[in-house]
Parts: sequence; C-alpha cells; structure tokens
Amino acid sequence: MARQLWAVPVIAFLAIASVAALVLLPLQLGLDLRGGSQLTLQVMPAGSIKTVGKEQLEAVKDVLDRRINGLGVAESTLQTVGDDQLVLQLPGEQDPSRAAKVLGTTALLEFRAQKPGTEQEMTGLLKLKRQVQAVLNQSRAKAAATASGEPAAPQVEIEAEDLARSLQQLGVEVPPGSSERDQLELLLGAVNTKIVALYEPATLTGRDLTGAGRQQQQTGKAWDVTLSFNSEGGRKFAELTQGIAGTRRLLGIVLDGRSISEASVGPEFKPAGITGGGASITGNFSAEEARDLEVQLRGGSLPLPVKLIEVRTVGPSLGAENIRSSLLAALSGLALVAVFMVVVYRLPGLVSVLALSLYALFNLAIYSLIPVTLSLPGIAGFILSIGMAVDANVLIFERVKEELRAGNTLIRSIDTGFSLAFSSILDGHVTGLISCVALFALGTGLVKGFAVTLAIGLLLSLFTALTCTRTLLRLLMSYAALRRPTYFLPAAQLPASAS
Amino acid sequence: MTTTAPAATPLPSPRFRISRYRRLAWWGSGLACALSVVGLVLCWLNPAIGAPLRPGLDFTGGTQIQLERRCDGVCGRLDASQVQRRIAALRLPEQAGEAPPNLAGTAVQVLDQGRSLVLRLPDLKPEQAAAVIRAVEAEAGALNPTATSVNTIGPTLGDQLLKGSLISLLVSFAAIAAYITFRYDRVFAALALVCLGHDVLITCGVFAWLGLIAGIEVDSLFAVSLITVAGYSVTDTVVVFDRIREQKTALSGLPVSEQVDVAVDATLTRSLYTSLTTLLPLVGLIFFGGSTLYWFAVALAIGIAVGSWSSIGVAPTLLPLFSRR
Repeated sequence: MARQLWAVPVIAFLAIASVAALVLLPLQLGLDLRGGSQLTLQVMPAGSIKTVGKEQLEAVKDVLDRRINGLGVAESTLQTVGDDQLVLQLPGEQDPSRAAKVLGTTALLEFRAQKPGTEQEMTGLLKLKRQVQAVLNQSRAKAAATASGEPAAPQVEIEAEDLARSLQQLGVEVPPGSSERDQLELLLGAVNTKIVALYEPATLTGRDLTGAGRQQQQTGKAWDVTLSFNSEGGRKFAELTQGIAGTRRLLGIVLDGRSISEASVGPEFKPAGITGGGASITGNFSAEEARDLEVQLRGGSLPLPVKLIEVRTVGPSLGAENIRSSLLAALSGLALVAVFMVVVYRLPGLVSVLALSLYALFNLAIYSLIPVTLSLPGIAGFILSIGMAVDANVLIFERVKEELRAGNTLIRSIDTGFSLAFSSILDGHVTGLISCVALFALGTGLVKGFAVTLAIGLLLSLFTALTCTRTLLRLLMSYAALRRPTYFLPAAQLPASAS
Repeated sequence: MTTTAPAATPLPSPRFRISRYRRLAWWGSGLACALSVVGLVLCWLNPAIGAPLRPGLDFTGGTQIQLERRCDGVCGRLDASQVQRRIAALRLPEQAGEAPPNLAGTAVQVLDQGRSLVLRLPDLKPEQAAAVIRAVEAEAGALNPTATSVNTIGPTLGDQLLKGSLISLLVSFAAIAAYITFRYDRVFAALALVCLGHDVLITCGVFAWLGLIAGIEVDSLFAVSLITVAGYSVTDTVVVFDRIREQKTALSGLPVSEQVDVAVDATLTRSLYTSLTTLLPLVGLIFFGGSTLYWFAVALAIGIAVGSWSSIGVAPTLLPLFSRR
C-alpha cells in the first residue's frame, strides 16, 4: 500500500511550483480579454514570385517591424502565421486606422525622369491636375466646415461641361449616377496614371535611402518630406537630375504607382546634377500624411504587397466584461461539478474535487509557463476540459462501487476500479486529443486557442485523474477511521457480508 | 441485488433492458435525423441563406460593429431603420484604387432596450469603420468607446476559414475512425462512426432550424464544437463497447442482444453521469459566459446530450444486427 505514496511529495511539490509559477509569471491575456486591435495581413504574390514562401514572409516582416517601431506603439507584437500571413497585435489600441494605413501600403518610392517629347502633354495634365485638386480640396473643406457649423469658404468651380470633356478625353468610364465628387476623384486618378505613363522607368528607388524626415513649409501649412540617399543613391540622383536640368522635362516622384510630386530642375544643375545626397518631396502633405510617409520610407518598401484580411478590435471594458463573465462561468462550472461529485460519490467525490482543484491549478501554471495566451475560446476549452477531467473519475468510482457491491474489500475495489477503468479513459482521451490535433493543425487563431487549452487539459487530466486521485485516496485509506465502505456508497447497496 | 451472495454470481439479470426499447430508440433517432435533414435542405433552398447552415461573418466575410450607447439609466428610443438610412447615405473615406463599398444593405440590430447596436456591413477598412461609427454616433448620441468591438473578415479569409473548418472536420473524423478501427474490430468502429454521424447531424440540424427560425448563424467556433462533439461522442460510445468486449468471455453463452443489455445496464449510470459532469460546466458557460461563447456552448451541450443518448440508445441496439452473421 505504501508503494504509491511516493507520489504525495511529488504532488505537493508540483502544487507549490505551480503557485510560484503563477505568482512570478502572470497569465497572458488575449486581446479579446484585455482590449486592443489585431490585424492580419496576407502577403500577396507579385511579379516573378508566384507563391509566397518563408523567406519572402520574413523579408516582409522585417520591413513591417521597422515601420511598427516608427509608429511608436507600445507592446505591439508582430508574428508570422503559416506561410503567408502576419498578425499584428496592438494591445489597448482602439482605432487601428493609422496602423492599417502605414502597414498596408507597399511604399515603393521611385524617382523617374520624364520622357523626351512629352512636355506639352505634361503641361496640360498638370494644369488639369491642379484644377481638380483645388476643387476637391475645397469640397472637402466645405464638408468639414458644414460639419463644424462654420460658414463655407468661397467656391472654386469646375464647369460640368469641362469635367465631362476631360473625363472623355482621358477615356474614363463614369458609372451612371455618380456624384460630381466621384467624377472628380476618377478624373484625378486617371490624370495621375497618365502622368506616370509619361516617365521613363525608374533608375532610383527608395532602396537607396538612408533616412527620411519631414519639415513644415515656410509658407502655408503643408509639409514636405525630406530624404537622404546613400552614396550610390546620391550618385544616381545627381545623374538623373543632370539629365533633365535646363530642359522642360520634369523629375517625377512616384509612390506605389501614383505620381505624388513633379519637380523641374533648373539649368544651374546642368554641369553636375543635384549633388549632396539629399532631396525633398513637396507633395502638399498634411502633418499626419508626412509623418506616415516618413515612417514608411524609413522602414523601406515592402518586397511584396500585403493585404489586410482581418481586423478585430475590442474595447477595454468589453474585454473586462469578457474576463468577468468567463471567470464566473468557470467558477460556477467547477462548483456545480464539485457539488455533483460530493453528493453522488461521497468520500471519493471529495477527493476528486480536491484533485480537480489541483487540476485547475496545474492548468493555469502551464498556461503561464508555456506561455499560452488566454482568449475567450481558450477559456471555453479549459471549462470544457474540467468536465472531461471529471469524466475519468466518474468512470473509476462507478467501477469501484460495482466492485464493492460485488462484495470485494475496499482496498481491492479501489485498485480494481482504477485498473479496469483505464482502458476506456485512455480511449476517450486519445480521441479527444485527435480532435485537438486536427483543430490545431488546420484552424486559425481563435480555433487554435481552444485546441491548445483543451489538449493541455486532456493531457493533464490523465495525470490528475489517475495519479492524484489515486494517491490522495490511498493516503486517506491509510487512516483506519476512513476505511469504511459506507463512505463510498449507501449501506443499502452493500452486500450483507461486507457491512 | 442487495442480497446476492458474492461468491456465486450467476449470469447477471439487468434491471434495464435496452433491447426492449430498441424500436422506440430507432424511431426517435430516425425522426430526429430526418427532421435535421429537412432543416438543412430547407436552409439550402432558402434564397436568403443558400447553404445548409446560415453562414456567419467568419465565412461570408464583412465587417461587424458592436456599439454600446452611453446613457444614464434609460436609453432613448432608437430606430434601427433611421440608423440604417444614415449609414446608407454616408460617404466613406476613399481608398486608393478601390471603389468604396456599398452601404445600402447594412443590417442594423438594436439590442437591450436600445442600449446596444450591432451592425453588419460589407468588408471595411479600419478608417471606413471609424467613419461608420461616427455616423452612428451622430444618430444615436454618445457611445461608450471602451465597449466598442469591430471585426472585419476579408472575403479571402472567409473562404480560407470555411475551407479550413471543413478540412479539419473531415480530417478529425477520419483520424478518429482510424484509431477506433485500430483499437476495436470493424463492427464496433463502424457503429461508433454511425453514432458520430448521428450526433453531428442532429447538432447541425438544430442549428439549421435555429438559422431558419431565429436567424442564428454558424461561425468557426461552431465547427470547433462539431469536432469536439465528434471526439466526445466516440468516447461515450467506447465506454459501452469496452464493457461488451470485457465481458465477452464471461457471457459467451448469452445471445448478443442480452450481452448488450447487460453492458448497457452496467454502464448506464456511468454514461449519464459522465455526460452530466461535462454538461454542468457548459451550463455555467451558457448562463454566465457572455454573448461570444453562448451559441458555442449551446452547440456543445446539444451535441453532448445527443451523444450520450446515441451511446445508450443507438450504438448498442444496432450491434446485434451487425454481429449476427
């Protein structure tokens, strides 16, 4: 009988270690419990790359890591998921708009010289662009003014006929029923594409940048973005500007295929081009746009485009509510099970409740050690595993009762009960674990949380249901006062000879 | 039973003979399965659903916004159609190279006596979602920013989730079948799988009807609950089969149906109690777990209850039919 008691110090040690682990390493809560935003980005294949592999994913992650650092968000984490996805977690963040914007664009910056012989076309396009932009700015300002109740500023108009003609010239198809503003946006887009088509291919890109900054224009409120090149970039920039200096051709700055700025280069740069390894983009940026572009350029352009495929945002009080309700659910579940076990199984029931408490403790300790980030489905997995952990005890105790009814002695009944119930307990756990593996291997974030906690629960319950319950029961049975079959089942069910 | 002498245990006489009720059990299960199939087919034929189950945000893609109004005591009345019109008239901030989504079909639900709102919209960028929230604020008054939740699932991810869920369902069923075949003979394995199908079908059926009647949707957590139910169903069935196998030599003189009766009688309390101990924590989850886990816990509870029934009423009663060769 004493041979199993070696487990007593082991269990006691594990219990103390678990408490220590929980005190030293607090549990990690998922964003659905603490509030925050989670963004999932998918890396899209482009150009010669047909499928996204680990290498490309890491390259994209490097760039995004630098951009996130530039954003200055505390505690954010960026992790790769599978072969082509990245998950960014922003605890506490409730409006992920800015992060989505800064991370979601490729930020490929190109410096391109205008093709010779396109001067006249360019002049026309630029005039149109300025006009459309002025009207659009006005209507935006007007919308903002009406919203805040200020009187509207005087209008710059574009004639409806002019608009229709320009749209037709550029071959823009206008969907029926679109407003004037929609048409203007379409026109602006078409003009920009047209302008980009007038440039030579890029010789200098954002790859040759060493830094980026921003400064406010001396006149007006707009911001410029300043750039500094590495030596290679400086040389290319000088060559590029030398080529067009003194001509009427322009230097185009193109970001992700959109023309954001066009600059002329004066004849004084004809001998050597613009040297000094620096440049600035006068793109009429707002302070925020300039800051975001600066962050993107510093981080470098993405080697492959990314697409935002999932955004989850949970407010902090909603998270707190989730913690409260799931805690209540877990505790009420434990309490219901405890009452049931004690009522139905008496002394061993009490022992199983003790083992169940140990089970909950070990579970939490493992969560903090691995660490498992607890999410709502994860807690559901834990709660469900409580039920399954007791299952094993029910199987054993029913077996013990049966042996007692058949007139076996108490100790013998307990031993037989444990060994005979083992096979069905094992089968149950293995099938449960198979489900978990399938869930984990193929599921996504939420599903994985559930699979992980349920799997940990199943593995642990094999240990607690078998070893802990058995050891505790044996320990108690070493006291003669407790060795009474009536502590196991009602006297009426005992055979006459045993009682 | 109480006076039986321990030394001479003759062939046991079960108090409860499941084989007597087997026709009733089959009719009950058959009816439930038929109703489930009808529910799934009706769902599929319903033009508003077009699938055996009403797919949720996870599978369709889109944006769901949950908002709570800030109001002391009683919240003023809020008309869902008013909010809907406001959103439909909204101009979203433009995104380079993409047409702004059409908001005319936005679904607005007002819950808790006007205290909270749930919006279902097409796939929105975070910036656009923020614009929608501001529009609602203009209509419904101040909102509690800390109780806002926004979920956006892109259409590609929706497809991925659906595909992933279906694959993991099939893979787990196949793996469980393989394990059971390895542990037991083929008849037992086949019956355990019949039971598994029965339990999963009825759980799906209940949700098909819920989708038709109450508009309840299934999400990826529902797929999780089905996989868990599948694992649990087999566990439950195995307990009875394990017993039949164990007593095979002792009871070899009896016909199979009586062997089954003995095994079911001996494991009856156990089967009921194990289901009960698993259901009890789920009851806690249903009553206190909050809205996110509510339908997940309900699906698990239905599946486990049905699983417990099938392990008593379906698998054992079918066994004699298959072992009589």
